[in-house]
Amino acid sequence: MVLERCFGQRRSRQFHRILRNGKLTLLCLVLTVVVLRGNLGAGKFGTPEQDLMEIRETFSHYRKRAEPRRVLEEVSAEEEKVSNNYAEFDINKLFVDEESEEKKDPNLEYSLGPKISDWDEQRGEWLKKNPNFPNFVQPNKPRVLLVTGSAPKPCENPVGDHYLLKAIKNKVDYCRLHGIEVFYNMALLDAEMAGFWAKLPLIRKLLLSHPEVEFLWWMDSDAMFTDMVFEIPWKRYEDRNLVMHGWNEMVYDEKNWIGLNTGSFLLRNCQWSLDMLDAWAPMGPKGKIRDEAGKILTRELKGRPVFEADDQSAMVYLLVSQRDKWAEKVYLENHYYLHGYWGILVDHYEEYIKNYHPGFGDHRWPLVTHFVGCKPCGKFGDYPVERCLKQMDRAFNFGDNQILQMYGFTHKSLASRRVKRTRNETSTPLEDKDDLGLLHPAFKAVKVSSA
Amino acid sequence: MVGESFAAQKRASSTHLPTTVTPAVTNVSAVRRPTTNPRNRQIHKTFNNIKITILCGFVTILVLRGTIGLGNLVTDSELDNQNLIEETNRILAEIRSGYDPTDENEQHVMSLNETYSLGPKIKSWDGDRRLWLKKHLEFSNRVNGKPRVLLVTGSPPGPCDNPIGDHYLLKAVKNKIDYCRIHGIEIVYNMAHLDKELAGYWAKLPLIRKLMLSHPEVEWIWWMDSDAWFTDMVFEIPYFKYEGYNMVIHGYPDLLFNQKSWIALNTGSFLFRNCQWSLDLLDVWAPMGPKGPIRDEAGKVLTANLKGRPAFEADDQSALIYLLISQKDRWMNKVFVENSYYLHGFWQGLVDRYEEMIEKYHPGLGDERWPFVTHFVGCKPCGSYGDYAVEKCLKSMERAFNFADNQVIELYGFRHRGLLSPKIKRTRNESITPLQYVEQYDIRHSAHKYSGSRG
Repeated sequence: MVLERCFGQRRSRQFHRILRNGKLTLLCLVLTVVVLRGNLGAGKFGTPEQDLMEIRETFSHYRKRAEPRRVLEEVSAEEEKVSNNYAEFDINKLFVDEESEEKKDPNLEYSLGPKISDWDEQRGEWLKKNPNFPNFVQPNKPRVLLVTGSAPKPCENPVGDHYLLKAIKNKVDYCRLHGIEVFYNMALLDAEMAGFWAKLPLIRKLLLSHPEVEFLWWMDSDAMFTDMVFEIPWKRYEDRNLVMHGWNEMVYDEKNWIGLNTGSFLLRNCQWSLDMLDAWAPMGPKGKIRDEAGKILTRELKGRPVFEADDQSAMVYLLVSQRDKWAEKVYLENHYYLHGYWGILVDHYEEYIKNYHPGFGDHRWPLVTHFVGCKPCGKFGDYPVERCLKQMDRAFNFGDNQILQMYGFTHKSLASRRVKRTRNETSTPLEDKDDLGLLHPAFKAVKVSSA
Repeated sequence: MVGESFAAQKRASSTHLPTTVTPAVTNVSAVRRPTTNPRNRQIHKTFNNIKITILCGFVTILVLRGTIGLGNLVTDSELDNQNLIEETNRILAEIRSGYDPTDENEQHVMSLNETYSLGPKIKSWDGDRRLWLKKHLEFSNRVNGKPRVLLVTGSPPGPCDNPIGDHYLLKAVKNKIDYCRIHGIEIVYNMAHLDKELAGYWAKLPLIRKLMLSHPEVEWIWWMDSDAWFTDMVFEIPYFKYEGYNMVIHGYPDLLFNQKSWIALNTGSFLFRNCQWSLDLLDVWAPMGPKGPIRDEAGKVLTANLKGRPAFEADDQSALIYLLISQKDRWMNKVFVENSYYLHGFWQGLVDRYEEMIEKYHPGLGDERWPFVTHFVGCKPCGSYGDYAVEKCLKSMERAFNFADNQVIELYGFRHRGLLSPKIKRTRNESITPLQYVEQYDIRHSAHKYSGSRG
């Protein structure tokens, strides 16, 4: 009406028409933008899925804010009620960090520690001054420290801690028989090198703090000993500083990311190892460096999926790209299972029991069964939960049987927690047969100095 | 039709525009003519609008459905997650219940008439063992100037009733591994029930006997409960004190002989020499153990004879106390009741004082100033219910763990950020001459610094 009086009827009608067309155009434009956003995304303006997440979050946020208030009201009403029931307790309420995080200068390049160049000399001198702590416990047997560990907080998976407990018992058993010391780490030494990289600062720290240790044996928490008799052939490695399970062709020729495995390896305590750790570490610091490094590794290595840099791929890449510098002192062992991928081993345990005996360490009786990808401590692994946990039980019992047989027992079956006797008690226990020779093995005997 | 009426309107309007003379007439006619048409036109217009609206709405829904999804507004990956969670929970419940298809149901329970035996009677263990040691000089019963000790501990073979229990079992075993590595002691962690009859707290008896007989090179067997933690990493057991004794146990002679209290001694941490005397003691100790009517009846006897004991089945601690009181002359001359240091330290009264200890004292004392062992009696984290409040128990266990762990990681230049914190912080910078710190902080080298336990 107003328009009609201002412009006259014809113009007003034109105006209306233009308006209508404009409305239609705008509508179509909006539709187009929405469709495109839905399909291609609009950068920082996000996608409809993100919108939905945000909406959900705001609503749950309101819910969450309302709930604590309600809970607090309830709690203040019944403050005296204290529970004796473990199932009701939330363990995460327990931990309190009294001091703040260390502030690291973001501009500084990452380093495991100040460069040490004379470690061999320092260590040699220390060993001379401390004859009570020799680095060789027997002429051909170096002093070994087995290092493993897990996170200091409870596992997300409710039975994860139980499997960690069984795995450490398994390692303690093997190491007791073979005169090896165990270090179970539960501390994160360097927040930047978290996850699979956490072993690097730990290994360096242990090498430098334990000069009496000749070889450090890193072993993942999901790896178990399944041959209690097999002793590492130390003589074979007298000229080498790093022993990993793997294949030369797969690493140097194929550049395959699983050409070697860093879940179980031996590292000599020497200058070369410190240099190796320094060369290995740069891809580790979490965040942009690790992500970018991951892309490089996926591009350079065969078969590697896309994810952040991991220590194993970084090792393959290091050996391939700096072969001349490192390969001479690295031994890729595949004559026995220093690391044995569980998928090809666990179904054959009964076969091994029938056809072979402990002591081979290889495909006939694997030294180590490594449950790569099972992640029993986390919520989800790469394999079905049932298969992983049941097979871990079987592997544990397979190894445990070799311990129990020393005392005249065995598990009722590889799946059973219960044990049964294999021989009766006697009144002359010292004459009982020690079939595997594990009660008083040669590799544990201490040389007696003739008086 | 629409176009025509529009055109008609247009024509009508165009004839009227230039003049202003006859607007009223034309208006009237204009108004009068579309009595049917305006309504039609309106109807058509509304119809058009509705069509457009519906079309737009349809397109919008299609677009949104394509990108966000409809129904429960739940995406596919979340559904997968839920399925995985359910499957995991089912399997975990199965594992927890201990369902074992190969198990036969053996319900044999000993009657009151039967007598239990740990094994055939051995009479010459001292002589046999001495002979064996002579023949096997490479497995001596002394290591680095100290007697060879075997620490024995354990836990049930299945998962705990709650996951927190397993986590603290794991931390406890790490704690024991640390102490034993520093002091050159070997560990046996048992997870098997060697004897169905003697299950529960009695399980240690057949286990200790078996280990003694299989390892003649071991001089002392040190039993330690899974809920006992080392809190003094420097303190070393003064073995020289126990030359003429075969059993070392924490307790109070007054409570034992005068008051006949059921907590006069504690069997959560004790030393047992590998000798004939010990085998005989085990044989006399075991008969109250077999589960069923024997254990129940024995429990009644113990409650009647020991002060303060509640009514429940016979336990190994009460049985030992009763045994030592009633056969005092036979056994007590070889039993050392130790209370000059905390071979067992009841946790209440100790854990709240850790900060005070750190301020005033130092490791190596082993007594009330810096307890050797903190024992969480009654907490039972592996079960569902304990005798004490859960929060207090778990907080205290965490504090004890970190209190001990600080002594271990001091060598590496770290310390926990508070006794309740799993995180650590540096106490000194990295150095290019790290061996100076080894001299200073490695307990094995600097043990002489703390003269409390030596000489």
